[in-house]
Amino acid sequence: MGCLVMFELDQRIAEQLTQVSLGSSVQVRMSSSNAFAVTASTMIPLMQMFEMGGVYISASRGAVEIIQAFEAIGVDVSGIHFLDLVSSGVLGGTDVPYSNITFVDSPIMLESIMLRTLYTLRTVNNQRNFVFLDSVNALAIYNDDRMLAEYLHTFINTFRQREVLSVILNVPDQTPPLVLANLDTYCTDLVDRGQVVLL
Amino acid sequence: MQPTSVYTRDRCVTGIHGLDEILRGGIPYGSTVLAAGTCGSGKTTLGMEFLVRGALAGEACAHFTATEPSVKLLENIRQYAFFDMNMVDTGLINVFDMDVLYSWLGLEKASFDLDDVHALIKSIVDIVNTIGVTRLVIDSVTTLCYKIKSEQLIRDFLFTLGKKLATLGCTTILISEITSATENAHWSSFGVEEAIADGIIVMGDSERMGHLLRFLQVVKMRGTAHSRAKHAIELTPLGVMLIPMLKWGASNDNSSRWGA
Repeated sequence: MGCLVMFELDQRIAEQLTQVSLGSSVQVRMSSSNAFAVTASTMIPLMQMFEMGGVYISASRGAVEIIQAFEAIGVDVSGIHFLDLVSSGVLGGTDVPYSNITFVDSPIMLESIMLRTLYTLRTVNNQRNFVFLDSVNALAIYNDDRMLAEYLHTFINTFRQREVLSVILNVPDQTPPLVLANLDTYCTDLVDRGQVVLL
Repeated sequence: MQPTSVYTRDRCVTGIHGLDEILRGGIPYGSTVLAAGTCGSGKTTLGMEFLVRGALAGEACAHFTATEPSVKLLENIRQYAFFDMNMVDTGLINVFDMDVLYSWLGLEKASFDLDDVHALIKSIVDIVNTIGVTRLVIDSVTTLCYKIKSEQLIRDFLFTLGKKLATLGCTTILISEITSATENAHWSSFGVEEAIADGIIVMGDSERMGHLLRFLQVVKMRGTAHSRAKHAIELTPLGVMLIPMLKWGASNDNSSRWGA
């Protein structure tokens, strides 16, 4: 406990992020084995190089687990607001020692997630904001394909209109084809780390 | 060719995030709007924010509370960051207990007759006129009308009150308690309020896989074009926030889709 874990950023992701602008929608494809490495390699440059803040929507794991994973690699995420869609479903899951977490009852309350995100963005003082959606495949566990596709369409356009960078994390082989096709159509950029390359 | 000029009514800008967009600029000035909703749907918060936004713009506002004592109402509303108790202390928002008003008027009785109804209308109109109120909320008209036994008297009461308040330039929200906000429901308890009101805003809950999602829908608003879509709402510390409900999730009857 307390010691930092060695972590190497995927620099190519940081380089790719220099090409995106506020209002872009970046689809980040990852696999189940590299999910945190890819997430961190995307979020850290945005925070440290581009001095961005914003909202992290956690549907795949509880926010505490994500915060502690960042703390373990020496990254302070206390300036990021977490919307936790997982922990309300766990008895005692919302009793946490972090003030930067808000809980939403369920991952099926898609409009509540959007409204809570918009509310949080109204309360923060960052010059530049991002919204991380972690992840589409986790939302797909609970939501109908058509509704999820509609939600992502709304999500992308809402933040594009507000000049907020949306970063949409996704494990493609766990995502319904309709939703995946919509992401490909509406996202402006793609960071692809979802393929497993066997040498 | 010159475009034909279109007359647009002056608006009472509610200041509520998203609602003015739905109403294409706000409630037509001097309208009487029925805010009909199920319990816990956010009617009182909406009404109070409507007054707070008016007070912030320097308007004199009044709230008549019949469902809960004013002390309790203010204690509940103080949790919201948009509310500032100074607005009450400085007289920008005037809160009246209906029970106190009944007591002043000698109307501490189980039911009201025609004279009582006229006395009540006169006292409300006098207060509005004296203070120069431009935004008024009556919470709730359902509780208030329980004392008026005849449907005709309720109709007269609401019609006369609405007409007099409009003459004074006051935009009014009448809060109405309903038990269901589905497509086939009445938007009022007595069946007459909805016919008399210039506008109807319905608030309720949409059930999705065992979770309740608050919604708001403007079903009628005379004097303005408006969206009639269902909007999801969230009661945040900054006030009511709205976004359109997802089309695939807007139905109250999800049983066939969700297999519930």
